[in-house]
Amino acid sequence: MAEPTKAMQYRVLLVDDDRDMISLLSSWLKDAGFEVDPVMSGSEAMARIDVIRPHLVITDLVMQGMDGMTLLSKIHRQNPLMPVIMLSGKAQIADAVKAMHLGIAEFLIKPIAKEELVARVRYTLRLAAGESDSGLNFGKEIIYRSEKIGQLLEQAKLLAATDVTILITGATGTGKEALAKAIHEGGARKDQPFVAINCAAIPEQLLESELFGHEKGAFTGAQTKHEGLFQAANKGTIFLDEVGDMPLGLQVKLLRVLQDFAVRPVGSVRGIPVNVRVISATNTDLEQGVKSSRFREDLYYRLNVVPLHLPPLAERREDIQPLLNHFLKRLSQRDNKKRKRFAPEAVEYLASAPWPGNIRQLMNVVELCCALTNTDIIPPAMAQKALRDQPAHVQTLKDAKEDFERSYLVSVLRVTNGHVSHAARLAGRNRTEFYKLLKQHHIEPEEFRTSRQASEED
Amino acid sequence: MRLRSKIMAMRIVRVDPELKDLIPGFLNNRRQDALTIRAALAQEDMETVQILGHSIRGCAGGYGFNALSELGGILERGAQNRDSEAITNAVDELQAYLEQIEIIYD
Repeated sequence: MAEPTKAMQYRVLLVDDDRDMISLLSSWLKDAGFEVDPVMSGSEAMARIDVIRPHLVITDLVMQGMDGMTLLSKIHRQNPLMPVIMLSGKAQIADAVKAMHLGIAEFLIKPIAKEELVARVRYTLRLAAGESDSGLNFGKEIIYRSEKIGQLLEQAKLLAATDVTILITGATGTGKEALAKAIHEGGARKDQPFVAINCAAIPEQLLESELFGHEKGAFTGAQTKHEGLFQAANKGTIFLDEVGDMPLGLQVKLLRVLQDFAVRPVGSVRGIPVNVRVISATNTDLEQGVKSSRFREDLYYRLNVVPLHLPPLAERREDIQPLLNHFLKRLSQRDNKKRKRFAPEAVEYLASAPWPGNIRQLMNVVELCCALTNTDIIPPAMAQKALRDQPAHVQTLKDAKEDFERSYLVSVLRVTNGHVSHAARLAGRNRTEFYKLLKQHHIEPEEFRTSRQASEED
Repeated sequence: MRLRSKIMAMRIVRVDPELKDLIPGFLNNRRQDALTIRAALAQEDMETVQILGHSIRGCAGGYGFNALSELGGILERGAQNRDSEAITNAVDELQAYLEQIEIIYD
């Protein structure tokens, strides 16, 4: 039995003159949560459309009386935006081309499997929603075609309407932050801040101050009062990425915040009430962490009220092509260049690659291919080269060190509000060395200063 | 004979329990199709054979009856080629298959 989904709000008008086909497709679609209105001829379909106002029409091509093509033309004469999926018993290119010219959303060949039909219906509805109904726009930034992600987004959409605490699991690069953001933007807090923090990138002593803030003079270098991210996210959502890497000492403090809905800045004795939705994410097995005492059990249950799992890209290969198209389009817009395309063999190659680094790796490969290809079409050899040159999820030690150093410097500057002397002292370096490091990473301390702070430093 | 042994090897069919209520009606309709095809063939009404073959081919696989889908394809092609012998063989297969079919809902 498929999981119940919010798809119940979608009405599908099903048109086929074969009673057994109607029964089969109705059963599949109802099981997937759609409301189905079956009719057995094109003329009946035309009469029903005005009455039930369907979100989608699925019609057979070959029918007694009015055939699928005629029905399609008639529907679009009245409602040009109505998505129509056509089923055909024969894979005839001429029919498919004609149907495409008439504005068909999908042309599917029978026999068709349930999973494929449901996935195509969801995909079509999603595309149509982007054009006609903002209420159906949930997760529009998440590019997918697979049934797995479709179901996950249906669930996420329901959760977005609540304030329930969510734990997103999934390997690195699967889009955990994008999903968290979609949930935030799909809910009542959407006009309030969405604050994301990577708990693994910041040392323990700084992470506490980053999350909960500190009072002036709370520790060496704390020259001014600092408002933590929980307060910055007040009325909105805080996204705690890589929460599994949070030091044990901080876990108990986070637990207290989740229990009391109040933060206590470092150096303060008073709790400050906060109204924050918490979404956390991890690529580690938190249950295992609990067993090996690396993660507090009580915090695990606080965070894992509703778990959502993002499957790796290798388990949803049907998403690869739409993702490739999406990144090609984005890069052409960003660089203001003509949009490139992958040769069909290149797409085939990329669609069957292992993708251990998931969507992030795919994005890097597309960028590399675009940068290194002069022609409009990216050949398969380039795709192969780009994939070979991408070490995927495993960074070199040098890159990892550089990433860490950069995050560290940013954290220290944020804590000290861009005060370089204080930041250098906190980092155990002299001012000159610290400036050198900032220059290496192209970090401008001014960007971390408040106006008052800037005038004090000057 | 080769076709028969192949089709018969597929006589045990696993069907989605969600479709259980639909299966008796679906199989009855195919029994009726077999009779209609024989009658059409007697009158050399190839159009009816083609329509029914096409419909069986497109629909049966979705219910889980791949052997029926294959027979539907043979009937459809047989009608296009006006090959009465192929149609007769296929409709014999169809009826024998429908008599011996075993369904497991899981």
